[in-house]
Amino acid sequence: MAIPQAYDRKNDLETILVQRTLRSGQSVSYDGNVVILGDVNPGAQVTATGDVIVMGVMRGIVHAGAGGNDSAVVIAFRLRPTQLRIANHISRPPDDDNVDPEQAEIARVRDGVITIEAFPPGGER
Amino acid sequence: MSEVIVVTSGKGGVGKTTTTANIGAGLAMLGHKVVLVDADTGLRNLDVVLGLENRIVYDLTNVINEECRLRQAIIKDKRFEGLHLLPTAQTKDKSAVTPESMQKLCTELKEMFDYVIIDCPAGIEQGFMSAVAAAGKAIVVTTPEVAAVRDADRVIGLLESKVGIKDPKLIVNRLRTKMVRSGNMMSVDDIVDILAIDLLGVIPEDEKIVISTNRGETVVDNEHSLSGKAFKNIVWRILGEPVPLLDLQDEGGFLSRLRKFIGLSN
Ligand SMILES: Nc1ncnc2c1ncn2[C@@H]1O[C@H](COP(=O)(O)OP(=O)(O)OP(=O)(O)O)[C@@H](O)[C@H]1O
Ligand SMILES: [Mg+2]
Repeated sequence: MAIPQAYDRKNDLETILVQRTLRSGQSVSYDGNVVILGDVNPGAQVTATGDVIVMGVMRGIVHAGAGGNDSAVVIAFRLRPTQLRIANHISRPPDDDNVDPEQAEIARVRDGVITIEAFPPGGER
Repeated sequence: MSEVIVVTSGKGGVGKTTTTANIGAGLAMLGHKVVLVDADTGLRNLDVVLGLENRIVYDLTNVINEECRLRQAIIKDKRFEGLHLLPTAQTKDKSAVTPESMQKLCTELKEMFDYVIIDCPAGIEQGFMSAVAAAGKAIVVTTPEVAAVRDADRVIGLLESKVGIKDPKLIVNRLRTKMVRSGNMMSVDDIVDILAIDLLGVIPEDEKIVISTNRGETVVDNEHSLSGKAFKNIVWRILGEPVPLLDLQDEGGFLSRLRKFIGLSN
């Protein structure tokens, strides 16, 4: 599969690979991009100065672009975070949110607000 | 080969002591030599649940402080041949037992018994750390509640990273099929989805547990209780028998496969 356009961005940061599920109370904090091969459970936290990619269910708290990088993104196989932050923007799912996205999604800042879209783009069903 | 199994949960009151007593009794019923170790120093109640409170002379803190011999502190159960209890002290606190003293104790107990089952205190502090220190296996008990599952997840993380117990097993206690079906309780699937560990068994909410506990008895030996059967199946699975999960349809209807979104918004 070709790299989807949505992720075709220059990013010279280092990347770490976390090959496990982050459980409640566990956290990863990294100056760069973080790729998680597992879930991020409620009560767990991921912080990165670059992008965060979760190859599983993102249920915890995620902060991409920590330090002020507005162009950072969060991509998850299932994006259901407790709270999602990009740079200094903070968002959370609405209280009555019970949609269960059956697809990967990307969160990024557009016009100063965090938006969630299907990933890759056009992958909506 | 003897095994040391700790029963833990993080959250309090979810059924660790009940589980410890019933698994212990179940293993003893099948002819195994079992000792249950109460690691909940200061709040001990495994002795009460087994109806053995009035037989305690020495406890595990006396053994650790070399105020008595190990054999003097171990009490034989009054109902099950092969079942034993090593009680703890009511009048001391958790600092009376260290991880090192627990390891030394369990090394000795392994020589004497087939199964050493440790009833862990709630929490993740010193008492927890001591209780899990000697265990080779762990059973994590949770109820179908968001907070209990969150704490179970925390404990599984600690067992894996700090204690080195790689594959803890899960027991879901106090499940109400009717409530799951109406969407008002997390289902077993919801829980396993998050915790991602092997399911050892599911115990239904059952008033027979309350009744038997108050009498100082177990339910695993009660042929007529669903919770008793569920505990018996768990015992078989601990022994390596692939017993299928009980259909907990006592409340009528089919076992719900409905998936519910649990509120994760803050
Ligand atoms: N399946 C069940 N159905 C009904 N009642 C139950 C069930 N399981 C446990 N209980 C009741 O819940 C209460 C708490 O159980 P238990 O003492 O085993 O929990 P615990 O995890 O050991 O608590 P603690 O953290 O205080 O040590 C007891 O009164 C017990 O009888
Ligand atoms: Mg208890």
